[in-house]
Amino acid sequence: MTAIELRGVTKEFADVTAVRDLDLTVEDGEVYGFLGPNGAGKSTTIDMLLDLVRPTAGTVRVLGADVATDGVEIRRRTGVLPDGFSVYDRLSGRRHVEFAVESKDADDDPDALLDRVGLDGDGDRPAGEYSKGMRQRLALAMALVDDPDLLILDEPSSGLDPAGAKEMREIVRAEADRGATVFFSSHILEQVDAVCDRVGILRDGELVAEDSVEGLREAVGGEETLEVAAAGADDAAVDAVRALAGVSGVTRDGDVLVVNCASDAKTDVIAALEDAGVTVADFHTREASLEDLFLTYTEGDAVGSESDSGRSVSGPTDQDSVDSDAAAPDPDDSDSGDHDAPDDDAAAEEVDR
Amino acid sequence: MSLPAVARKDLRETVQSRGMIALIALFSLLVSLLAFIVRPTGQNEQFATEVLLSVFVGPVLVTYLVPLVGVVVGYSAVSGERESGSLKLLLSLPHSRADVVFGKVVGRGAALSLAVFAGFLLPAAVLIVAPVTFNAGAFLGYTVFAAALGVVFVAISVGCSAASSTQLRALIGSIGVYVLFVLLWSFMTGRLLNAAGPAVDALPVSAAQIDVFLRVSNPTTAVEVLSREFLGGRLFAGETANRQISAAAMLVFWTVAPPLVGLLKFDADDL
Repeated sequence: MTAIELRGVTKEFADVTAVRDLDLTVEDGEVYGFLGPNGAGKSTTIDMLLDLVRPTAGTVRVLGADVATDGVEIRRRTGVLPDGFSVYDRLSGRRHVEFAVESKDADDDPDALLDRVGLDGDGDRPAGEYSKGMRQRLALAMALVDDPDLLILDEPSSGLDPAGAKEMREIVRAEADRGATVFFSSHILEQVDAVCDRVGILRDGELVAEDSVEGLREAVGGEETLEVAAAGADDAAVDAVRALAGVSGVTRDGDVLVVNCASDAKTDVIAALEDAGVTVADFHTREASLEDLFLTYTEGDAVGSESDSGRSVSGPTDQDSVDSDAAAPDPDDSDSGDHDAPDDDAAAEEVDR
Repeated sequence: MSLPAVARKDLRETVQSRGMIALIALFSLLVSLLAFIVRPTGQNEQFATEVLLSVFVGPVLVTYLVPLVGVVVGYSAVSGERESGSLKLLLSLPHSRADVVFGKVVGRGAALSLAVFAGFLLPAAVLIVAPVTFNAGAFLGYTVFAAALGVVFVAISVGCSAASSTQLRALIGSIGVYVLFVLLWSFMTGRLLNAAGPAVDALPVSAAQIDVFLRVSNPTTAVEVLSREFLGGRLFAGETANRQISAAAMLVFWTVAPPLVGLLKFDADDL
């Protein structure tokens, strides 16, 4: 059975299209990370799963039922940690959990749930006195009531310190091990990395990539990022570097050139710069992370489209040049079509509501 | 059916607010003050419970203040949660939007009734133990009518609240209804009847009947009619029995219809 199924879902608000023609499937028992920058349409999509917002077109099915007609029944089997919620200031933390237990006709022990999310000892205090992180924990405790078949967590780590974020991941993992499907959104890939079976990246209301974490990792496997402090680099020097075999992109960040290249092309880059008469003051490499890939998809390229930043002077990762490199991933392992970088002209507009 | 859960949550939340205590204190103070005014002055004089209620408490406290309190208790019920974001927490749980709207009518109606009972009965407790003859039954019964009027205005305000996307709009709508019923109703219906004079003549009912219908359509008048007959010992009896039944029916109508209309709008909205 599929836990979540969106077919051709579009949501238009008065002034903006938040989600366009979105197809998304999350299988039972899967942990699915729903990624994208703020304003990409993640919260709108989640709001449609909860029937808070109705799609302009398309169908939304959760746990095999239509959210438009069976919303209450679906939410009886779903735990939700919403984004941008507020608590009932005057009610204690325990009252909040009791309310969730009562609402779901469950028989959980509120104190046990408060313990589990790290709020032991705070149950008697009015939730209005809680910090942002504590509120987040409280909402998670409410979501965990009655061992839901599906957990929908919207930006679950927001407001949590690193230790809290780690506890959150452990709970997500434990729930997945119990057999629950977990669907959560984040604008930070690192948080998703450790727990997700599969991630989808949303940009401007469209799914621009969807793969297992492994698949995404392999797609960037042969790449490294070289940061060169080269104050004197002019356009000609940049062009010379970009022309090198194994270099997939060059970005200028102030006095620093950021070069995406195959690991064995590093010396060529430095040599090319020196040949062009540029003094290389310093350089170091870092391994291309999932974060870099994430940024490629969500920020895209900005040649000539950004006013004064002047940062991006190259296209996004060019699949051909990666493939030509010995360290490039086997094209069969990941669906290269899904990894095509988004259109340049879509980068300028941020969806926001 | 999760309406009771929402109602209990809302009742608890309302009762725990500082406004609740202020409200009880205000009611107690005003009832005590009015009781002091009608206190027996001579020897063996009976305490005029009925006078206290129908001349002082009724027109002053019940007609003007209780509906206003209903508005204050009700207007933020849905729009307040919508604005703050706690509605997301509420609708993450298995509640339908109808559960939310009617749960809030029940919860906040109960909270207001509690405030009315506490506020009215604290001074009454003093009168009961004091060495005067005090008609406790009449006072208690009258309190029920006062609470009923409050609940009607809570329901109207919750309806406005459900239909409004912001608190301000909900407040404006609710105050508008208050002004209409409490201050302008008889004036406006009078003008309406005059203007529609010829048309009324053509109907198979008399102008007087329409006039009575319009008057008891106003929940404050309906409660006045019912409580007056109750104090006179003629509740749902005597020659005005039909009028009283109409009045009671109108109270039920105003408790149910506004939340329903508000729900229609609320149900269609993106939140």
